[in-house]
This record gives sequence, C-alpha cells and structure tokens, in this order.
Amino acid sequence: MSRYIATRAIRGANALVNEAEAMLARALDEKGPDTPVAFPNTAYYLPVIYGMTGREIEKLGELPEVLTQARNLLHPTPSQRHWTPYLGETLDSGMATLLTAETIEAIRYVYGMQPELLPGFELAGGTAFTSPDMNDAEGESANGHLNGAIDDIQLRSWGIQLVDGRMPGFAAIVGCAKSNEAAVQIVRELQRRNILCFLSGNINGRSIIHQLDEEGVELGYDTYTVPFGTDTLSAIYALGFATRSALTFGGLKGGQAREILTYNKDRVFAFVLALGEVDDLKYAAAAGAINFGFPVVADTVIPQILPTGVTTYEHVVSLPWNEIEGADDVEKAERLVQKCIEVRGVKVQVADVPVPVPYGSAFEGEVVRKADMRVEFGGRGSRCFEYLKMAKLDDLTDGKIEVVGPDFSEVDDQGTMDMGIVIEVAGRQMEQDFEPVLERQIHYFVNGASGIQHIGQRDIAWIRISSKAADAGFNLEDFGKILHARFHSDFGAIVDKVQVTIHTEPGQVEERLREARETYDFRNKRLEDLTDDAVDEFYSCTLCQSFAPNHVCIVSPERLGLCGAYNWLDCKASFNINPTGPNQPIKLGRKVDTDQGYWEGTNDYAKVGSHGVVEEVAMYSIMENPMTACGCFECIVMLIPEANGVMVVSREDTSMTPAGMTFSTLAGMAGGGIQTPGVMGVGKFYLISPKFISADGGFKRVVWMSSILKDTMAEELKAVAERAGDTELIDRIADERSVTTVEELLPWMEENNHPALTMDPIF
Amino acid sequence: MPIDIPMDNWPGSVKTVTLGATSDQGGTRSSTVTIGGDQSLPFMHFEKPTANRPVIAMEIAPARPAEWSPVLLETWSEVVDDPGAWANACEEAGADLIVLQFGLKGAGDEPIAADLATSAVKTVLGATGLPLVVLGPGQAEIDNAILVPIADETKGERLVLGLCEDGNYRTIVASAMANDHLVLGRTPMDVNLAKQLNILMTDMGLPLDRIVMDPTTGALGYGIEYGYSVMERLRLAALQGDAMTQLPMMVNPGFETWKTKESKVGEGVPEAWGEWTERGVNWETLTAVSLIEAGANVVVLRHPDSLKRVRAAIDDLMAFETV
Repeated sequence: MSRYIATRAIRGANALVNEAEAMLARALDEKGPDTPVAFPNTAYYLPVIYGMTGREIEKLGELPEVLTQARNLLHPTPSQRHWTPYLGETLDSGMATLLTAETIEAIRYVYGMQPELLPGFELAGGTAFTSPDMNDAEGESANGHLNGAIDDIQLRSWGIQLVDGRMPGFAAIVGCAKSNEAAVQIVRELQRRNILCFLSGNINGRSIIHQLDEEGVELGYDTYTVPFGTDTLSAIYALGFATRSALTFGGLKGGQAREILTYNKDRVFAFVLALGEVDDLKYAAAAGAINFGFPVVADTVIPQILPTGVTTYEHVVSLPWNEIEGADDVEKAERLVQKCIEVRGVKVQVADVPVPVPYGSAFEGEVVRKADMRVEFGGRGSRCFEYLKMAKLDDLTDGKIEVVGPDFSEVDDQGTMDMGIVIEVAGRQMEQDFEPVLERQIHYFVNGASGIQHIGQRDIAWIRISSKAADAGFNLEDFGKILHARFHSDFGAIVDKVQVTIHTEPGQVEERLREARETYDFRNKRLEDLTDDAVDEFYSCTLCQSFAPNHVCIVSPERLGLCGAYNWLDCKASFNINPTGPNQPIKLGRKVDTDQGYWEGTNDYAKVGSHGVVEEVAMYSIMENPMTACGCFECIVMLIPEANGVMVVSREDTSMTPAGMTFSTLAGMAGGGIQTPGVMGVGKFYLISPKFISADGGFKRVVWMSSILKDTMAEELKAVAERAGDTELIDRIADERSVTTVEELLPWMEENNHPALTMDPIF
Repeated sequence: MPIDIPMDNWPGSVKTVTLGATSDQGGTRSSTVTIGGDQSLPFMHFEKPTANRPVIAMEIAPARPAEWSPVLLETWSEVVDDPGAWANACEEAGADLIVLQFGLKGAGDEPIAADLATSAVKTVLGATGLPLVVLGPGQAEIDNAILVPIADETKGERLVLGLCEDGNYRTIVASAMANDHLVLGRTPMDVNLAKQLNILMTDMGLPLDRIVMDPTTGALGYGIEYGYSVMERLRLAALQGDAMTQLPMMVNPGFETWKTKESKVGEGVPEAWGEWTERGVNWETLTAVSLIEAGANVVVLRHPDSLKRVRAAIDDLMAFETV
C-alpha cells in the first residue's frame, strides 16, 4: 500500500463525510425527517448501505446514523515521520466514502437533483421511474437527464449474465479521456468484449459522458454503456449494482458485508478505469472499490499498489496514456483495455472458431488423401514443426496472427511447402511446465477443421489441406484463428493471451526450428529430471470411474496413467484448468516405504478414491499391493513364476503369451479396479521408467515382451538397457516370434543368459 | 433359533428437500412435498425408518406432445391440449407432483418462446395446487432462455427448475437463487460427474437443500442396470458421508420407457409381446419400481395406470415399516 494513496484517500473520505453531514442537516431542516428516500425501482433500499450495514433506509431521518457509522470508520492520515500501518485504515476510509456517497445521492434524489439533468441528452434506454414527471407519455423515462441508479429490472437481466459468465465483467469508468477519439475507442474496446461500461466523473467539468455524447455514441441500457452522472459520487451506483448482484444471485442478506465483498471479488469481474487526474475524492472512492476486490487502473501517473491482497491481482496500476505503445488512439485504447482485463483477471470468451470450413470434433479423424489434397506441410517433401512457448503478458497481443513468408497460392496442386507454427501464450496461471501439455493439443485443435489433416507433433508434424478446404478459402492464417479460439475456450483457466506466427519463409523456418529443437531437448531433459523424489504431490485420476467405479490411478512423475494419455504434468494442468475435476493433487505426506512406494498421502487417497476397496497401494511393486486398473491399460505386466520374472503384453498383440492366455483374456484379470498381486495394467512408457517395478528388481525382471513394443520403443528400450549396464538386455528378452509357452521360455532364457535367472526369487 | 439380522449403521444421510411453497411460505401451492432424509438403503425398515416415502410425479407438456406414444395420448384424451386441464387430471389420478416438460417446439411448429412458456407455467400453477417441476428441453441455450423469465415470474413458488447441466448450471442456479426456487441437476450416468456438478452448484452459494439430482437412467432392457448401479453407488456414497452426493434423486422412467419400441409401437410386433397398453404400462411400472429400489426419491411417470401400480408397490414396500 502506498502511503501517498493512503493519505489522499483518508483525506478525501474525511472531507466527504464533513460535506455530507452539512448537507444532511440542511435537508432534515428543509424537508423533515419523515421524507422518504429511495432510489428508483429497487427493493434493496439504498443498496450499498443495506448490503454493508443491513440498514433498511426509507426516510431522511434514518440517514444520520449511516453518517455516524461512516464517521466511525474514518482515521487520521498516516504520519509523515513514523511508519504506521494504513492498509486497514485506507480500506475503512474507502468504505466510509461509499456509505457517504450513497447518502449524498439519496439526498439529491429527494431534491430532484438525481438523475442529473443534462439538457439535450437522449438516453438509449434507462431506468424506468415510478414518478410520472420523470417519464414521457409512453411511460418511458424522459430525455434531458442522465441515468442515475440502475433499477432492479436491469439488474436482473445484467446481473445474471455477469454471474453465469455470459458477460465477462463491468468497467466503472471515472473521469475524462485524453481526447474524444480516445474516449470512443476505449468504450468500443470494452463493448467489443461484451464488458458493461458505467460512466461517471469529470476532469475540470468535462466528463467522458460529454465526450461520447459529442461523438454521437448512444448511451444507455440498450448499448451497455450507462451514464450515471458527471461527478465522481455517481460512481456509487456501480457498487450499488455490484452489491445487489450479490444479494440477488448470491443468496446473501443485507448486512453480510464480508460475504458480499468476497462474492464480488470472486465472481463479479469489475474494475475501475480512472481517466485523467486523480483527486482526493477519487482516491477515496477507489479505496472503496478495492474493498469489493475491484482494482483500479489509471491512465495517468499515480503510485501503484502491485502486491496481491484484497484484490485478486494488483490493486492500483498506472498506465499513463502518452506512454502506452501504439500508433494511434485505437491501438492505445486496445492496450489500456487489455491491461484492465489482465489486472482484473477477466476471461475473454471466443464463442466460435472463425474459419471458412465447418469445424467440430466430428472432423478429427478425417483423412485427406493425396488426390484430394491442395498442399501439404511436412511428410517427405518439406519441413513442418509446431512449437508453443510461454511469454510475458505484456509482450503479447492477444489474437494477433501473423504469416511470415508466402502463402501456398504459388505452390502446385498436391505440392508441398515448409511451415512452422509458433504459438506464444501468456497467462497468470500459466507455467512453463504446461507448454508441452498445451502443445500436444494442437493436433486435436487443427484436426477439428473439416478438410484439414494433422498427424504427429513437434518437428514431425505433417499437415494437409484438402482442395475443398482451400477452395472454401482456408488459408494459413486460419491455423492461427483455430488455435487462438480453441486455446481460449479450452484452456482459458491458464491462458489469457494467444499470439500465433506462421513461418513459411525457408530461412525463417530453419531458424525457428533450431530454437524449437533446443526447447524440445530442454523439455525432454526436464522430464528426465522430474522424478518422484523431486515433487511433494502426485495426482489422482478418476476419469475411468464411470466404468470401473473403484479404480483410481495415482499418477507420479515416473509413473504415468495406465492409459498412457495422462502423465503427471497433464494431471497438474488439468487440475489447474478444472479444480473440481478428475485430477486432484495428492499430498504425499510422510514417507512410509520409499522402496515399495508407500506414502501416507497415497495410501489415504487409495482408500478414499477406491471407496474403501483398496487399503494400500505400492507405487513400485507388482507383487505387493499393486495399483489397480480400469481396463484402458496399454500393456499388461504379469508374473511368470517359473521364470522368476514378468512378461509384458501389448494391447496391440493378439498372439498367445507364455501365460497361456492372450491379451483379451488377461485384460479381464487385470482390470475392474481389483488388486491382484502379480498382474498389473500399465502405460507403456512406465516400462522405461527407472521406477518400473523397482521394488521387485526393475526392468531386468522382464523375460518376455510383445515384439511390437520392442519395435516401436526401440530407442527408449536401448536407453533402459544401457542404464541397466547391459546393452544386449533387450535381445535377451523373448517375444512371441520365438516363444509362446513357458516350456519354451525357460530354455530360451538359459540360451540367452537372461539376468532374471540369477536374481533373487521374486517372491 | 433366533436370527440376528446384520444391520448397517451409516454415518451419513440424504438431505431433506421440500418442493413447492404454500401461501404462508411465499407461494401459491395448496400443499408441499418433502423428499429425501434417507438414513439407510431403501426399505431397510429394520435399520432405520423411512423418513419420506418415494413420491410419484406425472409428466405433462405445454401442448399436445406429438412424439408421445398413441397409447398415452388416447388415455389422457383431450386434456393433452390444455396443460391446466392435464395437470388437473394428474392431480385427480393421484400424482404427488407435476412435471411440466418443455420441448424444443411450442404449440405449432415454432421454436418455444419464453412468453408462451411462462404463460403455460402460470396456467398449470393456476389449475393445480401440487408443487411443480419445470424442465426445459435440455439444450442449454433454450433452457436458459425460457427458465430465466419463468423463474422471475413465479418468485417464491419453490419450483424445481431444470435441467442444470455442465454447460448452463450457472444461469439456472443464479435465477433460482434470485427467486427462491430449487434446481434439478442432470449428469450422464456417472457418479463423479454428478458429484462434480453438485460441487459447482453449491459453490455458487445455492444451499444443498435446494438441489435435486437426476443421475439419468435407462429403461428396463435399455441400460437400466447401468443407471441402477450409478444410483446405488451415489446413495452408498451419501450414506458413507460424502456430502456432495447426499441429495435426493429424481429419475424419469416415463420418458425412458415410452420411447422404447415395446411401448411406442403397436403394430407389426410379435404376438407374444401381448396387448400394447398393458405392455407399455408394465414396462413403465417395472422400470419405476426398480429405480425406487435403487434409491429414487421421485419417479416421473406418464401413464395413469402406471401411477396406480407404482403407488401400490410403494404401499406394499412401506407396509413392513415397523418401529
């Protein structure tokens, strides 16, 4: 908290309470204590006062006690000489300001000074008044005045959209923009994002309301821009609206101040945009808004309050207009609004994928044959890669899509060209570890477009565009549009900005590819370094409980889910995106036995997750309390007692195994969420993990393995053999080409000198 | 020889939920219906007394439902053209609750409009004193478009509004909270999804005693085992103390069975299938009674004879209630 801001906010609040007391005394004198006070068409009395204090104010005579309460919240300004705490004092002063501002506006309603008169002004839809003199012949509110407080009817319509997320948030704009053009652009940028605009305040008598009115911008309910009044105090209507949202849609009652404030912080994505110089009163009102969790962004130089606390992110941010990068007011306005969105954590919604071909998951499996193809990237004739990296929020422009190099119009039909897709994402919740998780989604996202085929990933990506899609107008930029839309809609919880660059200029492709490959290597190493000992939580996965109700996967860095689709990083990302979803963190807690792989946390979770069926689970053993399986495992590992080892059968292997059963028969034993010592379903990448049945002797226990695994994982298995100190280890393992019975297996092991023969008995 | 019956002593219980509000309570219903409160598996009278009997809701539509089996339309005859009269007929037939189910289309072939939907709800509320469940067609956007104004116009009635699903629960929950209604959450036959939706809805501030869940089920011969098993597991979890599964369940055997060939088709079927109406009613009754055994607190039916038979079955099951 800045002492400068604290001083000015506290000073502003003191001044306002003094002013209000004088004003109220005069009103009581002139109008009498029984004079009714009310905002038009609301059942929530004076809403901020009602929400924060529970007082149901209906008469002038009840207002003095509100001001007394406000006065009690005031504090002396912080000492210049000694450091004293002032965050609480500042927030109190902010609250005092809100109670007082609402009191003043209520008195002004009594005097007919609210809604504020503005001759010649035409409201495009606004609060309906019960008092007939404010309405015209049709009962519509008459022209010549601003809107003042929002009525309950409009609150219901907008409030529900704010709560259910259809409307991302509201902006309380206070003051006057640098120019009329800037004012128009700021409001346009907010409207474009479906953000509600509440307008109030002025700088030396000029308000953004005047600016917009002069430029012919229609203001009112119909255009989602509500002119409250040209003074700062009318901004109180924004907080009255916020308070009533919590009362109406949050099931809260008047007087539940803390709950109402928290509700707004968590659910109503509002912020204050202060345009022009910030005076004491504005600081005081801003301190009031911060109580609601609404941060303040100013377009002038003011001290900032960056630490997180009462608001979700920064409290006060200064972004001076003339320092904003941008060629013109349009670009500056866009940057400013983008900053507001970041500071408040407003989530942008992209409803549709804007491409000229049909889009949906139904097209994911579509194949584009050579004959139907317009152009391809990757495969044999050219290079294609995709690379997603994290960037700083400030460095990206959301939705910017750039094609660097030629498009494919010059390429012959069925021709080929180089392409590199570089995606930069930024977000408050984004972590570098999520890069590969997001990058793998490109495959699904791109495949969703009809007439586009995507195969592979990283630098072995291979993309085809069909002639039909090309004729429909699909071009390179559309890849960017797809990715921008889908990353926002599917990963909005961790991604706030997405920027895509498509490189086709061969030199650039070369250069970017080199950078990408360095990162791929880095990620591979990162995965190697990411060991079970290096983390303090694993993740659960209960995705398969729909058909195996008592099975729960425990996913650790060195043991991925048995389906092969979810590793530890995927689970971590999934939890961040969907905190109530199927992947929950499991705090490991006390180590029970690190050889077998028992922790207090994993055991406790196994009990809860399996609904009491599984008491304990050993992460690294097939012999003792092995992990259960649903049915979607990639491989089955099974004990061959005679061989003092295990066999590994791939899902893709239909032949007979030394256990006398094929994969499909074995699957019945391995699945269903039952713990069967000696049988386990696993993901195939667990085979190469140093923690693969490490309690039972590790990979050297593998005496037989489906040849398809040997072939498709040759590189990885070679590394495992080297790690085991026996480069010929894989060749010592039998497969279905040489051995299909136990009788054949033992002589084969003797002949090939399999290490399991000389290992300790497995049980 | 005396036999000791082994008894379970469950730590958890199902929440009690009251549907509808009388004029004293801010609504216009002549009576309310209370469901849930279960402290043991259904009809284990020797363990715990049944807190509230399972109740039977009858489904009606705002206009003649063209896709309904002719058997049903014939049975109800002309009342199907007037939701008020239909609701009344259901009340006379002995229903505990009315479920007004909107389809995608209104009376003509027009898409259902919010104002017409609202007036249909008011007609039904005017015609019957029973508590009312109002369900949209199950497409998030359309559900939102009609349920929000309905909720606004019937504030205080403690209607059950649905369907809350993953995609639109926020809108329906918010409007239920603003207008003192209840909600029905539906998830596709999955314990964890059901639980997750309950977490998300209560996270918005909606109290647990204003949520009913529909875990979805299938008709006899069309996946009832799957639905039964999910309901049973939800109920077991509730009794074991998992708060986010402790909600009463409402399922729709009427809808499920009357769309099967056995109930819908009368001609060109094997003779061994027997008389058409009898077959349909049997199908609906058996499905409903099975689901009640799985823990359903509300079953939604379509045929008045099924209502009688299910009622008789519940009476039978409850006859063993001893203290």
